[in-house]
Amino acid sequence: MTATIEQTDVWFPGFGESEFSNLIAGCGEQDAAARKVAFDRYRLCPVPTLRDEEWRRTDPDRIPFAGMKRLEGLDRAADPDRNDLDQAFDLVISISDRGYAITDRTGILAEGKAQVCPLSQMPADALGTYLHGEAVLEANRKYTQLNGAFWNVGFFIRIPANQVLAHGILIRYEHTTPGSILLPRLVVVAEAGSVAKVVEWYQSPDDVKLLCVGARELYVREAARLTVQAVQEWGVASTHVGEDWARVEKDGQIDWVTLTLGSGFSKMMVGCDVAEANANAYLSGLFFANEHQHIDQRTLQKHSAPHTYSNLLYKGAVKDSGHSVYQGVIAAAPGAIGVDAYQMNNNLILNTGARADSLPGLMIDADDLKCSHGATMGNIDPHQLFYLQSRGFSEVEARRMLVLAFFEEIIAKLNDSFLEDRIRADVNRKIG
Amino acid sequence: MSTVDIEIKNLHAEVEGKAILKGVNLKINKGEVHALMGPNGSGKSTLSNVIMGNPSYEVTQGEIWFKGQNILELDPTERARLGVFLAFQYPVAIPGVSAAKFLKSAVEAVAPEGNKPSAGAFLKELRENIAYLEMDDSFINRFLNDGFSGGEKKRMEILQMLMLKPTFAVMDETDSGLDIDALRIVSKGVNKLVGPNLAVLLITHYERILQYIKPDHLHVLIDGRNVLSGGPELVKKLEEKGYDWIREEFGHEVLVS
Repeated sequence: MTATIEQTDVWFPGFGESEFSNLIAGCGEQDAAARKVAFDRYRLCPVPTLRDEEWRRTDPDRIPFAGMKRLEGLDRAADPDRNDLDQAFDLVISISDRGYAITDRTGILAEGKAQVCPLSQMPADALGTYLHGEAVLEANRKYTQLNGAFWNVGFFIRIPANQVLAHGILIRYEHTTPGSILLPRLVVVAEAGSVAKVVEWYQSPDDVKLLCVGARELYVREAARLTVQAVQEWGVASTHVGEDWARVEKDGQIDWVTLTLGSGFSKMMVGCDVAEANANAYLSGLFFANEHQHIDQRTLQKHSAPHTYSNLLYKGAVKDSGHSVYQGVIAAAPGAIGVDAYQMNNNLILNTGARADSLPGLMIDADDLKCSHGATMGNIDPHQLFYLQSRGFSEVEARRMLVLAFFEEIIAKLNDSFLEDRIRADVNRKIG
Repeated sequence: MSTVDIEIKNLHAEVEGKAILKGVNLKINKGEVHALMGPNGSGKSTLSNVIMGNPSYEVTQGEIWFKGQNILELDPTERARLGVFLAFQYPVAIPGVSAAKFLKSAVEAVAPEGNKPSAGAFLKELRENIAYLEMDDSFINRFLNDGFSGGEKKRMEILQMLMLKPTFAVMDETDSGLDIDALRIVSKGVNKLVGPNLAVLLITHYERILQYIKPDHLHVLIDGRNVLSGGPELVKKLEEKGYDWIREEFGHEVLVS
C-alpha cells in the first residue's frame, strides 16, 4: 500500500523544499548533489519530540527556528580578523558574519602538509567517501541531515599521509548578527600515519540570539593520530545543536575534547566508531551549566571491530538553575572480542536547584570484552573544603579552587597554555 | 604580664549529637611543646578538629583563647590567618591542585597584607625546606597528596607547617603509621620551628615520638577530659617510669588500645 503521509511538521521553519530548491539552484553541480543526498534523508527523519527517549529531558521545541534566518553569503572575506589564539596554530580559518578567511601562518598549504578548502570545492575523490560518509553512525538524525543539506559554512581538511603538523589548525567562529542561523560543517581526514590537531572555537556576544546547528565528520585513517578540541563559548542568548561523528581505523587514535561553556540551550551528540583493530578513542568532555543554562550531551562509543579501545571521561558542573543531561552508550558489535571500553561521567552539583541527570548505558552483543561505566554526583567535598580553609583560604577561594581542580583533568588535555588559561578563566567566571 | 599564649577553658564538644569532649582545660605558654596522649576514642582528634574549627564538630560549651581572642568565634580561615595550624591525621588529597601552586597560594593567604613574599623568596625557601625534609623535588609538581603514601602525606603536612610558620601548631597523631626514618624526618621538621614564637600541641598515641620531640608538658586525655596534666616533673617521671603507672592509675585502656 502506498500512501502519501502529509506531515506538515517534517520541516523546520525556513528549511523546507522550496528553500532547498532555491539553495541548490545557486550551488555547483557536485555541491548540489551532495546536499541532495542529505536532504532526502532529512525529509525522512522525524522531527524529534519530547516523546523520544533521547529528548525526554531536553525539549526540542526550545530550538528556535521561527523568526530566525539562515545566514547567507558566508564567502571568502577580504581580510581576516586577528586573535591572540592564532599564533599557536599553523593555519587559521576565521569565520564571521562577513565571511571566512584562511590564514596559512606557517605555509603548510604550500608545503603540501595539509589540504584545506570550502566544502563546496571538496576534491572529487574525497567527496563520495567523506561527505555523509561512514563516520555518520546514525544517518537517521534530523539535525545531522539538516546540516548536511543546508550547511552555510563548511570546510574540508585533509592531512596527507605521514604528514605531521607541528601546531595544528584553528577554526574560529565569531557571530554577531541577531536572529541568524549558522550551520557549520567540518570534514577532517587524517590520512594514514599523519598527526594533526584541529581546534574549533565558537564565540558570540551574550545578548545576540543565534542558532547554531553544526556537524562534524572526522576520519582517522590507519595509524593516524588526530586531536580534536571543540570549544563552545556562544553567548547565553544562543542555542547550539551539534552532531559530531568520528571513525577511527586500524592503529589510529583520536583525542577528542568537547568543552561546553556557552549558549543558553544546547544539545549535542558525539559518536565515535573504533572501527578497526587497535583503534583508540579518548573522548573527554567539560561542561558547566549555570544560571538558566541547559546542556544535554549524548555520546556513543561504538566498537565495530575486535581489539579496540575507547575511554570516555565527561566532567560537568551545574550551578544556580543550571541543568545538564549526560547520556552515554557503549555499543560493541557481535564478535567484537578483546574490546576495552570505559565510560565515566562525574558531576558536581554546586547548589540545590541545579540539576544533573546522568544515564550511562551499555549495548553489548559480544563477549570477552572489558567494559565499565559509571557516574558520580556530588557537591564540593566538605573534607577538602575544611582542609583548604585550615590553610588560610577563604571559603569562597577554597570552593573556587576545588571546582577548578575538578575540571583540571580535562583542561590539562588541551595541552596548550593559552587555551587552558582561557578555559580556566571561563570556569572561574561561572563560579562567580 | 602572662606568658600564656593559648588557653582552653572547659571545652565541651559533640559530633553528630554525641558528646566527645566533656571539659578540656589546657594552658600553653609561648615557646612550649605540650604532648597530649590518650586512648582511642578519648577525644584527641576531636580536640584538634575543634581547635581548627571543623564545622562537623559542634562546640557546646567553653572557650579557646589565642592571641587575646576566643577563636571559637572565628571561622577556620581566620584561625589559620591568626597563626593556628593543624597537621592533619588524615590529610586529604586534592587532585587537580598542584602542591607547588597550593603552597604558594597558602603562603600568600596567611601572610599579612603588604607582606607577601616574592616569587623568588618563596621558591628559595620552598627548596630549602624540601631539602631539609629530605623530600624529592618532584613532590611539589604532583597534585596535592594525590597518590601520596602515608609517610609522604605527613611530610607534606610538615612542609606546609614550615612554609606557613604558624604560632600555634596542633599535630594530630602526625607520628601514626610512620616508620622510624619518616618519624625522624617529621620530628626534625617540627623541631626546626620549635622556639619562642611557636606553641605546639603534640597529640599522639605513642610515646615513641617523644624521644624526638621533647615536650615541656604532658596531658592525658580520657573520656573527653584531661585527667592528668603536668610539667617537666611529669615528663621526667614518664621518662623514668614509662607508662605503666598511668595505665594502673587510669585504667587498662590508657595507652594500649
